[in-house]
Amino acid sequence: MKILTCPLNGPRNISEFTYGGEHHSMPDPNTTDSRAWAEHVFFHDNAAGIVTEWWCHSASSFWFLAERNTITDEVIRTFEASEIYNQRIDFVAASTVEGS
Amino acid sequence: MSSITPTQVTRRSQLYRRHSELGAEFEENNGLILVKAYGSETELAQAKELGLADLSTLPRTGFKGAGAPDWVTAQGVTLPRQPNTCAVQSDAGLVAKLSYQELLVLSDLNATSSMIEKLNQCSVGEQTYALPRADSHCWLAVTGSQAAEMFSKICAVDLRAHKFANAEVAQTSVAKANSIVIRHDLGSTQCFYILTDVSATEFLWDCLLDAMAEYQGKPVGIEALRALV
Repeated sequence: MKILTCPLNGPRNISEFTYGGEHHSMPDPNTTDSRAWAEHVFFHDNAAGIVTEWWCHSASSFWFLAERNTITDEVIRTFEASEIYNQRIDFVAASTVEGS
Repeated sequence: MSSITPTQVTRRSQLYRRHSELGAEFEENNGLILVKAYGSETELAQAKELGLADLSTLPRTGFKGAGAPDWVTAQGVTLPRQPNTCAVQSDAGLVAKLSYQELLVLSDLNATSSMIEKLNQCSVGEQTYALPRADSHCWLAVTGSQAAEMFSKICAVDLRAHKFANAEVAQTSVAKANSIVIRHDLGSTQCFYILTDVSATEFLWDCLLDAMAEYQGKPVGIEALRALV
């Protein structure tokens, strides 16, 4: 059994985790075009090498990030999402943007 | 058989048919129906060795959000210092910290803890969200000196006494069901509370009894658990 270390719960069997996809920086939704937004939402880089991924510890519903080498399947480190997302992101409704 | 039966009230454990089949004697406590005993004279000794009890009808609640720790502290709750630990309250209730922003509040075995009702009646503070647990999770207790060894068959986290101290919490998989495991010793007897999604209640009960059979583990009533304290 592979072991993954959850930043909250410690080392656990990989069967307790769910993969949540690649982590990308979000483009500014107010200035980006539809193509770039669609790429952010739907497309994946599928890079060979060290990537950052979302993982969820299912038993505690705790989402966190992991740096993993996709060539060797080595997990370099796992860390809390609060390292990157340390402030609330508010979205402005589309109708408000158009009307402004 | 007792004259009180779970079908006399609306709120009952998902396991009440199992309990009735096992010849359980029920007790009524402030409108809550619990298994008092299964009729064995050796139930206390059983609980010290390896027992399984259903506490699902006892009160419990939860709160989540960036403001939750400060808000519950303002309501008089003593918070555990670290996530994945729990703290006994002045009214004998138990509060488990599941993450930096999530709390689980459990009643004591006599359902005398007033904290849960008080918290549920308050309007929650800013960035605090109520997370009711009474209907979302079942609540079982595994007690006795052989409990940790039995768990090694169905749980990957090492729950032996020298590895998993009293008041520690593990959110993990028990018999492949996502569970919250809380070590809350009753007197000198090891006790593990297990809270699992309510839809898996009967599955988990059967799995635990199956795993316990090797160690002669049996269901015990709440009377035996109270006698351990």
